[in-house]
Amino acid sequence: MMGKLLTADFLKIKRKGLWLLTLIGPLGVVALQMVNYGVRKDYLLQQSEDDWGYFLLNVHSFTPLAIVLGIAILTSFIASIENETNAWKQLIALPVSKLTVYLSKFTLLAILLFFASTLLMFFTLSYGLFLELGDTVPYMELAKYSYFPAFAALPILALQLWIASVSHNQGIPITVGIFGVIFAYSSYVLPDWMIWKWPSLMNQWNEPMINVLLGVGIGILLYIIGMIDFARRDVK
Amino acid sequence: MEYIVQTQNLSKSFGKEQAVSNLNLQIRKGEIYGFLGPNGAGKTTTIRMLLGLMKPSSGTIKVFEKNITKERIQILAKIGSLVENPSYYPHLTAYENLEALRKILGVPKTRIDEVLEIVRLKEAAHKKVKGFSLGMKQRLGIAAALLHSPELLILDEPTNGLDPSGIIEIRNLIKRLPEEYGMTIIISSHLLSEIDQMATQVGIVSKGKLIFQDSIEAMRRFAQPKVTFKVNNGEKGWRFLLANGIKADYQGGVIFLEECSDEKVAHIVQVLVQEGISVFRVEEEKRSLEDIFLQMTMGEQGI
Repeated sequence: MMGKLLTADFLKIKRKGLWLLTLIGPLGVVALQMVNYGVRKDYLLQQSEDDWGYFLLNVHSFTPLAIVLGIAILTSFIASIENETNAWKQLIALPVSKLTVYLSKFTLLAILLFFASTLLMFFTLSYGLFLELGDTVPYMELAKYSYFPAFAALPILALQLWIASVSHNQGIPITVGIFGVIFAYSSYVLPDWMIWKWPSLMNQWNEPMINVLLGVGIGILLYIIGMIDFARRDVK
Repeated sequence: MEYIVQTQNLSKSFGKEQAVSNLNLQIRKGEIYGFLGPNGAGKTTTIRMLLGLMKPSSGTIKVFEKNITKERIQILAKIGSLVENPSYYPHLTAYENLEALRKILGVPKTRIDEVLEIVRLKEAAHKKVKGFSLGMKQRLGIAAALLHSPELLILDEPTNGLDPSGIIEIRNLIKRLPEEYGMTIIISSHLLSEIDQMATQVGIVSKGKLIFQDSIEAMRRFAQPKVTFKVNNGEKGWRFLLANGIKADYQGGVIFLEECSDEKVAHIVQVLVQEGISVFRVEEEKRSLEDIFLQMTMGEQGI
């Protein structure tokens, strides 16, 4: 049942520009570094002994913003596909469980998110190689900076999907999304418990893995709460 | 008696407002059940509960003799529905819209062409639904409802916003479904004339209550013309008629009869004149189904 719903959901995002958006996100993040390194490559290379590591840090400084913004846009796009003509009522009147409907939407978003992370890794590596930052490519670090923020952002994904799928006014999830972006932008000053800080991989223990584990744990929790609330509500 | 749909004391309230109260619907197999009521009477709310989109505040719903709250998915597998305005994905073509549903329902791809043929949308199959007229969208909605060859079809105001030719087309389509595919159909409307031309059974709701439920013939019986006799002494005349074995009613100074042939009217006049009663007026009073419907829904009590 889940597989059928997911293939139907993939069909529904056709011609909506969602794939393009998943491409633009990581491309934009790396493009900013193209400008940065294009203008002052020599200066930047002087800043650190570890050129690859410094490059990855630079790329990563914009990743959380792109992820939080991307999640807000993707979730409300996907919810708006069903909201536009209130297709929820048609979808829920099919022989499917509401829990599976919600799971399918979440899975679709998670796939798009991790597809974007993969693209980010690919673009970062390509531009890094182009810059000739050294022979030993830190593949582990590269994978870490590409995928960890996505895992740490799962609670934001779960929260945005919950809000987008239960509110009839799409202004509400967009507003929450904008605040999320502002929070992600100011993650330096945010306390550790704010979920919008997590994709930055910063915490007081300097251990990115904590953000990943918290992200997955709280993400699942928020997902379950959202799913139960979605199933409990009457379809208008 | 086997009922496809049976509700027992079905009620739904939104906060303090009672949208549906103690509804007892009984719908048999093969019927076209016309679900009638003015706007805001609770028709759509009832239909949403039949489809499991809303949970009843109290009461039970049995569809195919199964409880909707317990076996929702098995029941929905045999129901096709179109609730209120048609839902569709405007950025997809008609074919893709049906394909998205077909994937979930797991029916063969050939069904898409079949249902598009039934609702005559074949030429527009590969056009985006965005550019469709309301009638075409409505027909696409019906096609979607028919996709998995349901045993029960629930259509909520399917002719809303259609032009006359569209209405006739949909009406003809609905009429032939029970004969050709053995479907049971529930069709809601606020227009009696609509239901009159399609339904075999009628249920009328007003302010959330079911005030009439019977065959369309039973409803038409109410609409038969009455003949009224205005005479100088109504009560005396009425007694004479009864004494002569003519069944008549007397109310408010006039004698009236239902189902009156020309000969019978002549006979009554003769009897009255012979008894020395002056007949002032003999009038036929016609009541349309609309009048009855209005009277029922405004007065709130049955007739």
